[in-house]
Amino acid sequence: MRFTTLLVATALATMTGPALAQEKITLKFWDNQQTESGLSQYQQEAVKRFEAENPNIKVEVTTIPYPEYQQRLLTAVQGGNAPDVSTLDQIWIAAFAEAGAIIPLDEQAKTAGIKADAFFKGAWDSANYGGKLWGIPFNVDVWSFSFVNNALLKEAGVDPASMVSFNGLRAAAQKLTDPAKGRYGVGLFAHKGEDTVVVLDSFIFSNGGKVLDEAGKCALTSDAAVGALAFLQSLVPYAPKGILNASSGDMRELFLNKSLAVEFWPALEQPTLQKSSLDWDFVVGHAPEGKKPIGTFGGWNLAVYNSSPHKEAAWKFVQFLTREDVNGAVVDLIPANVKAAKAFVQANRKGGDRIIAHLENAAPRPLSPRYLEISEIQVQLAQNVYSGMDPKKAAATACAAIDALK
Amino acid sequence: MTYRDRWLTWLFVAPALLLVSVLMYYPMLGTVVESFYSTSFINPTPKFVGLTAYEKIVGSAEFTRVVWNSFIWTFFVVVLQNVLGFAAALLLNQHLPGQGLMRALVLLPWVLPGVVAAVLWRFMYDPQLGLINSVLMSLGLIDHGIAWLAEPTIAMGSAIIAAVWKGFPFSCVVYLAALQAIDREQIEAAIVDGAGPVRRLLDVILPGMREVIVINFLLTTILTFNYFDMIWVLTRGGPQNATHIFPTKIYELGFGQFRFGEAAVYGVFSILALALMITLYFGVQSNGSRRKSS
Repeated sequence: MRFTTLLVATALATMTGPALAQEKITLKFWDNQQTESGLSQYQQEAVKRFEAENPNIKVEVTTIPYPEYQQRLLTAVQGGNAPDVSTLDQIWIAAFAEAGAIIPLDEQAKTAGIKADAFFKGAWDSANYGGKLWGIPFNVDVWSFSFVNNALLKEAGVDPASMVSFNGLRAAAQKLTDPAKGRYGVGLFAHKGEDTVVVLDSFIFSNGGKVLDEAGKCALTSDAAVGALAFLQSLVPYAPKGILNASSGDMRELFLNKSLAVEFWPALEQPTLQKSSLDWDFVVGHAPEGKKPIGTFGGWNLAVYNSSPHKEAAWKFVQFLTREDVNGAVVDLIPANVKAAKAFVQANRKGGDRIIAHLENAAPRPLSPRYLEISEIQVQLAQNVYSGMDPKKAAATACAAIDALK
Repeated sequence: MTYRDRWLTWLFVAPALLLVSVLMYYPMLGTVVESFYSTSFINPTPKFVGLTAYEKIVGSAEFTRVVWNSFIWTFFVVVLQNVLGFAAALLLNQHLPGQGLMRALVLLPWVLPGVVAAVLWRFMYDPQLGLINSVLMSLGLIDHGIAWLAEPTIAMGSAIIAAVWKGFPFSCVVYLAALQAIDREQIEAAIVDGAGPVRRLLDVILPGMREVIVINFLLTTILTFNYFDMIWVLTRGGPQNATHIFPTKIYELGFGQFRFGEAAVYGVFSILALALMITLYFGVQSNGSRRKSS
C-alpha cells in the first residue's frame, strides 16, 4: 500500500512538475527614438531591472527610428505580427482602438490604482477615446517653445519678453530680418509633416480657436482660427525662403548657424542647443495681448495589443515603465508622470518650471480615428496660407475637406 | 520537341513560374480585388463597394493632378536622360586622354544609392545654404536665393533635373555598348563617301542603334514611372501636391493615412500604365529578334 502511494505520488510529481513551474515568457516591446539620447541603452538598463523584479518575464526591446516607426507598426499589425506592448503616438490611439488592434485598460488601471491625476491632463485625455482608456501616458512634450538666439536679439534691440504677444513677435521678427546679411526673424515651415500641423494648431489654440468643435465638425472657419492663420501669414516676409518644403529640422540648421533668430521646437530641442556654442533662451509660445499661449500636446502612450498572448505580463511592464521612479529614465521626451516630469526637467532642461507650466496648459490634437487625414488637410491649409491664399478661403477649403471625411 | 522534352521544359520553368505567381501576380491580383472594397486600418473588414472608389477618385482634381504630374515627370526625365546619356556615350566613345577616368566619373551618379543622391540634391537645392543658389549668386545671375523645391511652379522641374543626373549614366552605358557594336567598316565607308560627323550620326550610327534606343526609352520609361525615392526625399509630393506621382501618392495613402482601398485604386491605374509599357517593350524586342533572324 505504502509502495503504491509512493508510486502514485512520484508519478503525479513527474507529471505536474513542469506545469507547476512557471514558464518563462518573452514580451515584445517596441518604441521609437526621436533624439540621440542613448534611449535604447537606458531602456535596456530598465528592462534588466524589470526582469529582476519579474524573473519569469523576458523583455525584447526593439527601438525603431521615428520616421520608420508608423509604417513598421502598421505593417506588423496588418500582418498579425504586432508586438505585445508598444508606444503609440497620441494621434494614433483612436485609429488603433477603432481597428481593434489594442485593448482597453480601464479595469487594469482601476485595479492597479492608476489615476488620471498622476499624469498631465492633455496626455491622459489623449489616451481616452470613446469613453474608454486605451493606453497609459508614457512621455510628453509641447509644441512649441520659441527658442531665441540671444546675440541676434541683443544686436537688433529686441527684448524676448516683448515677443510673447502676437504683435510683439511680428515686430521682433521684422527687426531681426535682414536678407542682405542672410538673417531671418522667424522660422516658419510647412512641409508634409506633423510638425507643420502642431505649430499651426498652437497659434490657433492660443488665439482661442479649435480644429474640431464638440460635435466633431471642422471649426477652422471661426474668427479665432482665421485670425491665427492671418497672423501666421503676416510673418512670411520675415521667414527664410522655401517655407512650403521646409521642416523644423531645416529651421534648426539655420538657427544653429546663426541665420535664424527664432525657431519653433518642443523642449526636446534643448539637448541639441546645449551641445552648441549658441547663447540661447526660449519664450513660452505666443498669444494675443492678454491671453495665455496654449501649446499643442505631443507625446506617446503605452498600449497593449489585442493579439498579445501575454496581456497580463504586458500590463505589468506598462505599469513598470510609467512608475514615478522609472518613467524619467526610459523616455527621450519628458515623462508623462507629473512627479517624474518635474524631477526630469529640473535635472535635464533649462527653465523647468516654464516647461511644466506650458505642459499643464497645452491642448491635445483632435482625437479622431481619421486624424491622419485631418492632419494632411491641415498641411494643405498651412501651404495655402503661406503661399498667399486668403486665410478665410483657405480655412473654408480645409473645412469642406474635413467635413467630407464623414 | 518530344513529349518528354515538353514535360521537362515545364518542369524546369515551374519553380520560376511559381515564384513569379506568388511574389508578383498574387499581390497584383490582390490590389485589383482590394480596389473594389472599402478597406482602411480602422475598417479592416472589407466592404464591397464596386466601382464607387473609382468614381470618387477618377473624378477628383487630385487624381488628374497625379496623372498629369506622372506624365510630365516620366516624359521629361526619360527624354533628357536619353539625350544626355547618348551625348555622353558619343563623347566617351572618342579616343580622348583620360577616357577611363571620365567613364568612371560619369558612372558615379548611377552607382550612388537613390536616397543618398536625393539627399545630396536636397542639400544643393536648399534656398539658404545650398550650393546651387550660392554659385548662381556668386556669378551674379540671381540676387536672392531661389526656393527650388518649395515653389509649386518650379519644384517639378527641379526634381526632374535631379532624376536626370541620377539616371543618365544608365542610358550612357547602354548607348556606349551599342556604339561599340556598330560595324567600323560602315563608318569608314561613310567617311570615304565624304559624310561629315552629322551625316554619319544620322545615316549610319542612329539607324544602327534604332532597336537599342527604342528599348532603352521603354525601359527608362518603366523605371522612371516607378521612381519613388527621389521625389519622396526631395518634396514628399509637395508643395501643394505639385510633385505627387503615382508611387508617392500610393505610399502616402497606404502607409501615411492607412487608406488601403484608395491606395489600391491608384495602384490599379499604375499597374495598367506599366502593363502597357511592358507590352510595348516586349513587342519591340520580339520585332527586333524577328527582323534579325529573317
